[in-house]
Amino acid sequence: MNKKLPALLLISVFVVATCGLIYELIAGTLASYLLGDSVTQFSTIIGVYLFSMGIGSWISKYFEKNILSWFIQIEILVGLVGGFSSTVLFLVFESIASFRIVLYGFVSLTGILVGLEIPLLMRILKDRYEFKDLVSKVFTFDYIGALLASLIFPLLLIPHLGLVKTAYMFGMLNVAVALIVCVSFKKEIRASKYLQSTSILSIIILLIGFVYADKITSFSESQTYSDTIIYSKSTPYQRIILTKKNKVLRLFLNGNLQFSSDDEYRYHEALVHPGLQALPYAKHVLVMGGGDGLAVREILKYPNIDSITLVDLDKGMTGLFQSNKMLLDINKNALLSKKVKVINADAFSWIKAQHKKFDFIVIDFPDPSNYAVGKLYTNSFYKLVKGILSPRGLMVVQSTSPYVAPKSFWTVNKTLESVGLKTIPYHNYVPSFGEWGYIIATEPENPYKKPQNYIPGLKFVSKESVDLMLFFPKDMAKVETEVNKLNNQILVKYFEDEWANVL
Amino acid sequence: MSGQTSYKADLSTYLKRRSFLLSVGLITGGIFLNGCLSKIKSKYNIKGSLNGPNAKAGHILRDKVKLPEATVFRKVKILIVGSGISGLSAARWLQKNGEKDFEVLELENHPGGNSHYGTNKTSSYPVGAHYITVANNDDDLLIDFLKEINVITHFENNIPYYNDYFLTFEPEERLLINGEWQDGLIPDFGVPEEDKHQIKEFLAFVNKLKNTKGNDGKFLFNIPISSSSTDKIYRELDKITFKKYLEEKGYTSKYLLWYLNYACKDDYGQKLDKISAWAGLHYFASRRGNAANAEQNAILTWPEGNGWIMKQLAGKLKEHIKTSTLCYNINLMENGNILATVYNPDTNITENIEAEKIILSSPQFINNRLLKNLQRLIDYSTFSYSPWLIANITINELPQSKGRALCWDNVAYNTASVGYVNSAQQHLKISEDKKVITYYLPLCDFEPTVARLAAYSRNYEQWLDIVIPELEVIHPEITQAIENIDFWVWGHGMIAPTKNFIWSENLEKARAPIENKIFFAHSDLSGISIFEEAFHQGIKAAKQILDGGK
Ligand SMILES: Cc1cc2nc3c(=O)[nH]c(=O)nc-3n(C[C@H](O)[C@H](O)[C@H](O)COP(=O)(O)OP(=O)(O)OC[C@H]3O[C@@H](n4cnc5c(N)ncnc54)[C@H](O)[C@@H]3O)c2cc1C
Repeated sequence: MNKKLPALLLISVFVVATCGLIYELIAGTLASYLLGDSVTQFSTIIGVYLFSMGIGSWISKYFEKNILSWFIQIEILVGLVGGFSSTVLFLVFESIASFRIVLYGFVSLTGILVGLEIPLLMRILKDRYEFKDLVSKVFTFDYIGALLASLIFPLLLIPHLGLVKTAYMFGMLNVAVALIVCVSFKKEIRASKYLQSTSILSIIILLIGFVYADKITSFSESQTYSDTIIYSKSTPYQRIILTKKNKVLRLFLNGNLQFSSDDEYRYHEALVHPGLQALPYAKHVLVMGGGDGLAVREILKYPNIDSITLVDLDKGMTGLFQSNKMLLDINKNALLSKKVKVINADAFSWIKAQHKKFDFIVIDFPDPSNYAVGKLYTNSFYKLVKGILSPRGLMVVQSTSPYVAPKSFWTVNKTLESVGLKTIPYHNYVPSFGEWGYIIATEPENPYKKPQNYIPGLKFVSKESVDLMLFFPKDMAKVETEVNKLNNQILVKYFEDEWANVL
Repeated sequence: MSGQTSYKADLSTYLKRRSFLLSVGLITGGIFLNGCLSKIKSKYNIKGSLNGPNAKAGHILRDKVKLPEATVFRKVKILIVGSGISGLSAARWLQKNGEKDFEVLELENHPGGNSHYGTNKTSSYPVGAHYITVANNDDDLLIDFLKEINVITHFENNIPYYNDYFLTFEPEERLLINGEWQDGLIPDFGVPEEDKHQIKEFLAFVNKLKNTKGNDGKFLFNIPISSSSTDKIYRELDKITFKKYLEEKGYTSKYLLWYLNYACKDDYGQKLDKISAWAGLHYFASRRGNAANAEQNAILTWPEGNGWIMKQLAGKLKEHIKTSTLCYNINLMENGNILATVYNPDTNITENIEAEKIILSSPQFINNRLLKNLQRLIDYSTFSYSPWLIANITINELPQSKGRALCWDNVAYNTASVGYVNSAQQHLKISEDKKVITYYLPLCDFEPTVARLAAYSRNYEQWLDIVIPELEVIHPEITQAIENIDFWVWGHGMIAPTKNFIWSENLEKARAPIENKIFFAHSDLSGISIFEEAFHQGIKAAKQILDGGK
């Protein structure tokens, strides 16, 4: 009898055990990445996995002949299924409904196959070695393999290889076991040539997967966005992602939708025209936030405007909207206009140092979802804005959704009023966002006068639509709130509560 | 009879002294040995400085160094020794009242004393005092001053409106307890109902005390302390420790006691068992300031802490402040004037200055040396000062943790420190990659004298060994994110209101001017170390001079 056999076979036990546990860990991790709630995901996955292993060992008794060649085939299959598991799961994730079915299908399949391995191996070996010794050795190596897997998985594999590559690597190891067994026992196996070449082919396929794994993950990031990602960039401030589907472009900042090119006009027309159309004498405009240049595009439709100052934190953002062809088509080269001056600065510090007055001020900041941005919605900030608003001027503030977050919306209103401004709240429907709110504020001596006409060429705003926008139905009616201040940041709390119910 | 007792007293002080020396020897010896070891290899790859008040000046004052002969003689009408808040406040008052001929001597190369601050590339940060609270509405002098420096911008219905940029921005305070950061510092998350009940009871009790006046029509506990009620039953509370008092009142909740202990450490640098019950209650029952635009007792802070207020004071007094000038000795001259010997360690020049009056806004343990040739019949040994370690930590990003986001004040339950403050809290910028956090560690596990010597003998690596493990408990994996740590050791940080101190005869005597020529202003004369006390001590001394014994 071949002396090398026991060591080689025991190594195979070891590899098989390690691989088995790794697939389980991968499935658990992936599920908690993609579905959240790691405790639930991990426990259900482990449960299903163990149960399937039970089924596997039960089935094993139905294998009677050609156990060796069965074992080899199962190894190849485990390797392929396990190796491709994380790639497939990543790719199908977008269609959430079926995702769980695929996930648990995978977990059961791998479980059953892994469950078959050890009993079959035992039976292969039982006639060749003393039984007691065999059982103890196999189980020892099985457990050591499991221990090793649970240690290297979080410490080495996830940080260095990532989920996709790890899966391929262990897939290859699995198939390598098949190959080794195949070669070692080649005299006892009938179709050994065929099995050998199948193993080698499988290893090659898995290797290709391993090499191209990086492509797959970025491909699957694009899958998370459902549309094709055509641009992605991390600036010091945020992650910018641009997607395209058919003709529709979408911009995401840190995963939050900023605009969708098919309906952004509803938002930007509503933001700009009800205010600016009421100021025929306006010459100097300030836009804060809005680095996409879309509000500026609307403002440039008024020939009486001499200058537009755009203050946006992120150079990466304004730069993109000054250079990318597709985006220039959307904002109509707005940020390249001679009238426009782009300043990349932190709005609060910038405005504190300002003295020049503006006739029209557009405040288009991200939603107040954290204490940092929350500062830009406080009475202290609005006092500064008021300080640079010309006496007959007007400002407008994007103020989140009065439908989803009425307390937040009316807090912005109350805060503007608290610094001595007269406010005109209004809202419209933007399909990508839902019902959205804006607030115009003026000096009380120069109240807002509703325009009777609007410049031609608008797709949404008109005298009639503005009348509708000014009306607040009961489900968005004014609620009493506190003033948002630097020392209470009440708005961030409201906003968190109100949107938590939705998301 | 007297022989026996004095023998006993002698023996016991002798024994006390021996055990004191032994413990000092053991502790500092241990630290020294450990220092030699940690020099060989430091565990952490963190750089920075280890600083504190000028050590050379301390040496000189302790008569360890002989000064050169005085080569300059000059006259100044009024001298002020020390440019802490009390000295600056005295100077401001003189200036406000038309006095021009005065000088403020400061041994450090910068004014400010305990309200000193530092600056690095990332931010300014405090090294000592870091906040004040909204002024009590009866404290006219303070309210006037806050108005003067635009901390109060205007009044609405006679209630001060505080500058929105100086009221602490939200989120203000969080406590790490039972594995999570909760809102506010009063233990709540995971706290059993009975404990919550005791906490509520205690807070209701002190709240009632806060609004109670004595038979003399004064609040029981007020700021400045000197304006508190003289009713005897409350002053009796100064004769027992806060710990004893709480035991007698039946407060047993470990969460409540932790909170009260934290408060004593935070304000006085000592634990419950050292602080008098009167002082312990004063912390909770003396602040009732109302603001038009903030809740009662709201906190005011700046990136540089009270260093900001200090700059407002010092800015108007520039020509009068002489830094790097150590007052070494004070004598009475035959013509009735005062002769102050001062020394500049930078130029190595000694001067004699003749003055009509002098305000000592230096602490009493220093005055003990300055006045060694004069009769001042007080017992200096009752003045006990709590030592502190401050660590200013420049950090790239705090590791994620569970619960409430980073606040201005961040405290962890059952840790040695009283937590850290975020000096970037009042910054207006939306995005900040780095920040400086200021970590406060009261050195109150040993007697102050022992703790102080131990603190002086530690080297940089040893402070790391003390601070980093606690930071790691609060924020696992924080060490990798640390860019720099600057340590600052206050040997005599804060006066400790131990029992029988604040309302003792000895302290009253210490406040008394000497021959209407030497006046005293340091906050240690109040018995507690807070901005308001220093501020009022300064004004009181200046007024005594201006009133000229009238
Ligand atoms: C760690 C720490 C944190 C604190 N935090 C707060 C806080 O948050 N809020 C608060 O209200 N208070 C706080 N305090 C209390 C603080 O001490 C007071 O607010 C105030 O700054 C005390 O001022 P002072 O003038 O009484 O004393 P000091 O600040 O001690 O001033 C004395 C000055 O005299 C100088 N001096 C001494 N001897 C001589 C000499 N011989 N010749 C010349 N100059 C001399 C010293 O250098 C010093 O500048 C804190 C204190 C410490 C130590």
